[in-house]
Amino acid sequence: MPAVQTLGLTKHYRAGPPLPFRSARAAATAAVDALDLSVNEGEIFGFLGPNGAGKSTTIRMLLGFLHPSAGSGRVLGLDIVRESVAIRRRTGYLPGGIALYDSLTGEALLDYLARLSHRPPVRRADLCERLELSRKTLQRRVRDYSRGMRQKIGIVQALQHDPELAILDEPSEGLDPLMQRAFYDILDQLKAAGRTVFFSSHVLSEVERVCDRVAIIRRGRLVAQEDVPSLLARARRQVTLRVEGAAPSLAEVAGVSHLEDHGDRLTCRLEGDPRPFLAAIQRSVVLDLTIEPARLEDAFVDFYEDVER
Amino acid sequence: MIDRPLFAHTWRMQRVKLAVVCLGLIVWGFVTPVVYAQFGAQFRMLLENGLIPEQFVQFGGGDIFSLPGAIALGFIHPISLILNSVFAVGYTTAAIASERQRGTLEVTLSRPISRHILYRTLFAASFTFLAATTTALLAGGVAGATFEGVRGELPLEPLPLLWLNGVLLFGAIASIGLAASLSFDRFAPALGLTLGVVVVSYFLEVLGSLWPDARPVQPYSLFHYLQPKAILTGHVAASDFAVLALVLALAVIYALVVFPRRDLPAPS
Repeated sequence: MPAVQTLGLTKHYRAGPPLPFRSARAAATAAVDALDLSVNEGEIFGFLGPNGAGKSTTIRMLLGFLHPSAGSGRVLGLDIVRESVAIRRRTGYLPGGIALYDSLTGEALLDYLARLSHRPPVRRADLCERLELSRKTLQRRVRDYSRGMRQKIGIVQALQHDPELAILDEPSEGLDPLMQRAFYDILDQLKAAGRTVFFSSHVLSEVERVCDRVAIIRRGRLVAQEDVPSLLARARRQVTLRVEGAAPSLAEVAGVSHLEDHGDRLTCRLEGDPRPFLAAIQRSVVLDLTIEPARLEDAFVDFYEDVER
Repeated sequence: MIDRPLFAHTWRMQRVKLAVVCLGLIVWGFVTPVVYAQFGAQFRMLLENGLIPEQFVQFGGGDIFSLPGAIALGFIHPISLILNSVFAVGYTTAAIASERQRGTLEVTLSRPISRHILYRTLFAASFTFLAATTTALLAGGVAGATFEGVRGELPLEPLPLLWLNGVLLFGAIASIGLAASLSFDRFAPALGLTLGVVVVSYFLEVLGSLWPDARPVQPYSLFHYLQPKAILTGHVAASDFAVLALVLALAVIYALVVFPRRDLPAPS
């Protein structure tokens, strides 16, 4: 059973004044359009897309904050419309740019949110230790916390009750590199414990580092959903070639694109199997050849370029 | 029925404000019998000499020529209204809209709490706040009457009914405030709408009490159904309670229907 599954999930927003004065005939904008997602249990799933692509809208529909205009969704086997409370009993959620009660101390806030979850904060001590949230720090008021500290508290509140599914919106935002690494360790630990993590991020290197599979969303539509190695295998790698004498003819070689002759060197992008490219340069006297490893960022940009075309 | 941790948290967040408001209302409630005892006879003389128009001294159904009248004046006076509005308007309109605007509502609602339970909990909390403030005002009145040695003029039996009348009035306003709060994504429109209802309602009641030709507009005011003097003098009108209860019930029904159905987009 998938941990998260959506079928044709759609959300239209109506423009115009807020409830209760909104006209039913107001113009509608599709924030999410016929989204089919499937997140397996026990995997770390990255949800990618630029600002306004529909990531947060999708997450908010999964948690019952927004009602779908069409389509359906299930989280941990429960219907996102009818069984929203039961879903939230079994999930942990970190909103993007989390807001906290500033007048409480970190400890009082975590205690309160644990009581609201009606589950004991069994993971809190471990999370606080990993994220270097000391007892002294937790006894300070939230209003005195830096942005990074608030984000750490946000991570702890989402995971302290050991949820089966963690939904994290931009979780490493505001964390310094050391804390980012600590956070990745937490994700690895969650995965080892069989928990599912669904997270959206702009940091593609982070997604590449921690995710098993990713979905890429653009203007509310799903443009890709596959495992990270497959995505990387399809990504175009940057190639720089220096040869002695005449440059080889690469324009018609399978997988080669964006070919540019800079006089002393050729650059191009290479997609898929490198053998046709290597065969094409076989007769040239190669002085230098660099094929950069595929990065998720390249795959992401490629997807966007392809869709734009 | 309600979420206890949320209820306790709401009380914890409001306790200092509640203590200050209750203290203010105790002092205000204390002052009105003192004014009656100290200056009531002089005001009556001024009235009988025609120096003060009769309508003016019977502001909002109260007066300072009798202890029940003074207690009634204490209820309807702008000072009491402003202090009670801290919770009936200020707290209720902020309870959902302000949390939405800040983003803390989604942290609360990401827990296993339905919107019905969230609403019921906030409604119950606001009712307990108003019960406390109304109790404080009445306690101040009884203390002031005792201090001035006129407690014998104040019948104690109708006090629970007067308490209920006050709680129902401010409860109806609070219900409108909560209904506005859950209808908007921002605090300002919710506050503006509720304040508008209260100010217009108060204006209609006061206008009708000062100007006899405007009396027909008084039934359109919520404050018209707060009748402390009538209650303290044994002239209880069940219809006053029924109207306030009806307004309260309509606001609650609206909230229970609209809140679960509305979208809660990310705070902007």
